[in-house]
Amino acid sequence: MDKEKYRNMYLVEAAEHLQAMSEILLRLDSEPQSHQEIDALFREAHSIKGMAATMEYEETARLAHRLEDDLDLCRKRGSVDTTEIDQLLAGVDLLEALHDDISQGREERSVESYLHTLAPGECSDSPVSPVQPEKEEGRQTDGGEPILVRIDLAETVPVAAPRLLVLLKKCSDFGIVLKSWPSLDQILTDKVDGRLLVQLRPRLTTQDIHVQLAKYSEVEEISFPRPTVNSSLGERPHKSASVRVSTGRLDHLINLTGELITIRYQLENALKQQHLPDLDDGVGQLSRLVKNLHHQVLQVRMVSLRALFSRLSRVVHDLARSSAKTIELQTDGADIEIDRAIVEELVDPLTHMVRNAVDHGFRDKKEGIISLKAWRDRDQVLVQVADDGSGIDPQVIRRIARERGLLSAAQVKTVRDYDLYQLICQPGFSTADTVTGISGRGVGMDVVKTAIEGIGGLVLIDSTPGEGTSITLKLPLSLAIIRVLLIESADVRMAIPITRVIQAVEVSPADIHSSGKQLMVDYQQDFIPLLSLRKILKQPKGTKKESLPLVVTEVMGRRIGLVVDRLIGQQEVFVQRLAPPFDQIPGCSGGTILGDGQVVFLLDLQSLLERRKKGER
Amino acid sequence: MPGSVLVVDDALFMRKMLIDIFSQAGWKVIGEAENGEEAVAIYQQQHPDLVTMDIVMPVMGGIEALKAILQIESQARVVVCSALGQKHLILDAITAGARDFIVKPFQSDQVLEVAERVVGC
Repeated sequence: MDKEKYRNMYLVEAAEHLQAMSEILLRLDSEPQSHQEIDALFREAHSIKGMAATMEYEETARLAHRLEDDLDLCRKRGSVDTTEIDQLLAGVDLLEALHDDISQGREERSVESYLHTLAPGECSDSPVSPVQPEKEEGRQTDGGEPILVRIDLAETVPVAAPRLLVLLKKCSDFGIVLKSWPSLDQILTDKVDGRLLVQLRPRLTTQDIHVQLAKYSEVEEISFPRPTVNSSLGERPHKSASVRVSTGRLDHLINLTGELITIRYQLENALKQQHLPDLDDGVGQLSRLVKNLHHQVLQVRMVSLRALFSRLSRVVHDLARSSAKTIELQTDGADIEIDRAIVEELVDPLTHMVRNAVDHGFRDKKEGIISLKAWRDRDQVLVQVADDGSGIDPQVIRRIARERGLLSAAQVKTVRDYDLYQLICQPGFSTADTVTGISGRGVGMDVVKTAIEGIGGLVLIDSTPGEGTSITLKLPLSLAIIRVLLIESADVRMAIPITRVIQAVEVSPADIHSSGKQLMVDYQQDFIPLLSLRKILKQPKGTKKESLPLVVTEVMGRRIGLVVDRLIGQQEVFVQRLAPPFDQIPGCSGGTILGDGQVVFLLDLQSLLERRKKGER
Repeated sequence: MPGSVLVVDDALFMRKMLIDIFSQAGWKVIGEAENGEEAVAIYQQQHPDLVTMDIVMPVMGGIEALKAILQIESQARVVVCSALGQKHLILDAITAGARDFIVKPFQSDQVLEVAERVVGC
């Protein structure tokens, strides 16, 4: 059997079963006598065992078999206790680690130590500590830890397959070759692409291997990629290159393509007959279809937040158990769909936020509720982590902000609590000393903020002392196609992602006040500072006008009004990354081409203003 | 450190070219052969450090000769020479035990790089 061919399918399907197992175990935690759940868990383990055995993933099959046996005992007894749940969770962790080994092309790790743990009921008076997956360090002691050697041929090499074959044979001089990509068979049948990845137990040092391989002028690059180290907690959901698409969705796409073909003939006919109304009608239908098609294609990339939420449930479960707290996690909106690329970027920030909530939100309490919510608001997805813990004392933040020089003495007095909370995301804040009692809260929040803003999102923090804290992420639905606000400044059109815009308004000069050198505007019963985009971009000064077009946005936790020449309107655009060296331009996060062919740059207000601030100092 | 070499090719022109490249670089060309049979006979007597072997030749082809030479000396260093289009023959030759290969048309520095690499180890 050509295993490679089925490997991806195995990985996708096994990941689904693993996720289901974690979810069921967490449900069993609160309902340990549910026959239905135990049965379901047994079936999941059974499926994995069967699949892994077929694929000859022996360690996975052995472990799944053991879990199946354990569950069979539980099934007969009709319940699972917490120790067993922990042990089963550790088993699922180990299965996930094995899944990772397989997807990374590594040899499966040994499950021996897990198999030596006690079966359910064998010893119920002393709690069994959950078995951790074997650590990387542990594997090194067997000597000759396998390494990866990656060889990239220069593009000009005329016959890649024979060259790779020579190199693969050469690698056997360096140690025992365990595996290679492409495989020997693939090389012999010329299924190669100028790269070779070899897993071997080396006899030579990587340095010596490098020297040997450098003798081949056809080799452009030699590297020794490190296999990624796994941690059982907060691990990323498995990335896979393939996407499952429902046949219904595919049929829909095919129908749309069919309609497009019909429209094409209609348009060609109308053009031939110079019949303008038909042409007009056709273009109208065409734009409707393209919009629909675009929507459908985007849908293919969409995934629900379910996997992410279940992972976070697991994080909460483990942390609560290790810190002896009783925390109930309420989730809502796991079915909300979002671009898979965004979900991948959310794993770390959300894990961090949830940990913060457990560690610090419930600093003084032993029990509480964490709610994890997601909902759609037009083109945005909002994800919120809220706790009913101690909350954050604004006075403490005020003091730290003053000490750290984040706010002036005058600002400290006038700043609203809400604006104060946003300061927690400031890099300077995270180093706040530990005696303040809100430490931790800020630790790493700047990293969260950077990650979220990197995908065009926004972080909003709110808290009420004694009642709890909530952190809300405002996210775009997709990374590639986003809604922007088009504006104009000194005859140059620019775009601002709509997720960054709080409001676009025109204000009359009567609403503008000056406070020292700074102009302020009365916005929703609050004075916010005005900044001129022309000034920021060093464009020539504009003429005075009757009303000022303003983009209200939030930068570094503070609301500001950005004065532009003209607000043009909203539009959906396809954002393209700028090629180097243009990607280095500060304040510009990408570009897009408008319908009239004009190139418009996307403004990244955050970096633009941060740079300006640094320049001022 | 250049060593001794046996050049095997059915085309006189190719042989001359290879011999010139090797001689100029200080190699000792101990012989030339125009088919596999001759090559095996010379190898048996001289045991050169290196053999450059054309693959497609009359009487006895390169791969057959390669196998025969490896029978005589399992560590024999044979490099096959072949045209670009004969990728599968090159793969067969390497599988059969050729140490490396040279693709025609070649540059002298390519030939010497392969030769030195194979003999150097």
